[in-house]
Amino acid sequence: MGSKTILIVDDSLTVRQQVSMILKIAGYNTTEACNGREGVEVMNSGASIAMVICDVNMPITNGLEFLETIKGAASAPPVPVVMLTTDGSPELIARAKRAGAKGWIVKPFQSDLLLSAVRRIAGDPGT
Amino acid sequence: MKDRGYMSGNSNEERLEEILATCIGELLAELSPEARRVVAEHQSPALQESLAAFGGFGSTDFRGSLTLLGSVSLFSQLHPLPSSVTPRDLADWACELVNQMVGRYRNRLLAYNVNLALGVPQSALAQNMRLSSSLRQRRNPICFAIHGAVLEIWLELNIRPDFNLADNPENSKGTALREGSVVFF
Repeated sequence: MGSKTILIVDDSLTVRQQVSMILKIAGYNTTEACNGREGVEVMNSGASIAMVICDVNMPITNGLEFLETIKGAASAPPVPVVMLTTDGSPELIARAKRAGAKGWIVKPFQSDLLLSAVRRIAGDPGT
Repeated sequence: MKDRGYMSGNSNEERLEEILATCIGELLAELSPEARRVVAEHQSPALQESLAAFGGFGSTDFRGSLTLLGSVSLFSQLHPLPSSVTPRDLADWACELVNQMVGRYRNRLLAYNVNLALGVPQSALAQNMRLSSSLRQRRNPICFAIHGAVLEIWLELNIRPDFNLADNPENSKGTALREGSVVFF
């Protein structure tokens, strides 16, 4: 109770389960979306989201489109977004940075590095 | 099956296949230290309960697809959360494996100035499934032995006739971030 909530946006159930398990063990709450459009819906729902971890290559609305949508919303609070993807392309990384992402992690990820990134950006779970 | 002893050739297709095989070997080694590449001497028997996952990709120079075929139990053993996996979990995991294999392939090919776009992988559970190549009638799949089972990887490529893969990767600004990397902005 009172823990920060991290939104995980990924079309892979396995990745969502993996990330969620790591974060829950560390004391965070998590909520999930399986594509960028669902992610935007969560962001627009009024839910208190401390940080977003978002895949890039997804159906319907991809991760960069999601990022550009939420960062372009004038009323949106500045929720930090970290991209979690297999893609290491400098061009896409630069696009994410321009769109306001706070970081980029290339899959497959190491649990401790992912958790360190979340702590660095979202802070400790209950603070 | 026998241990690795395959010949790698010099054609674009053979070199592209070897780069993919290296990417897959790296990924599988992270998931299962005992994974080793083997040569399929004969076509594998049809698997009673199998899982196939496939993903397409393309660039201005070639397009293709990668298909994984293995037993359900093999995918279960490779799953990162193996304690309570359902068939739905495994189908999803197989897609994610394709995603990570092709993603790594795309990252390596960037250094050769090849920029692949990836499709969203799909998977299918089946009984008695067997694959064959539609484009390369005489080529065998890339195979890895893991926990006594074999994972087949079928690569289909359709290459533009005038395309030539660079002899060596360039360490230019096109080099991709390595897997497992974390960067902050």
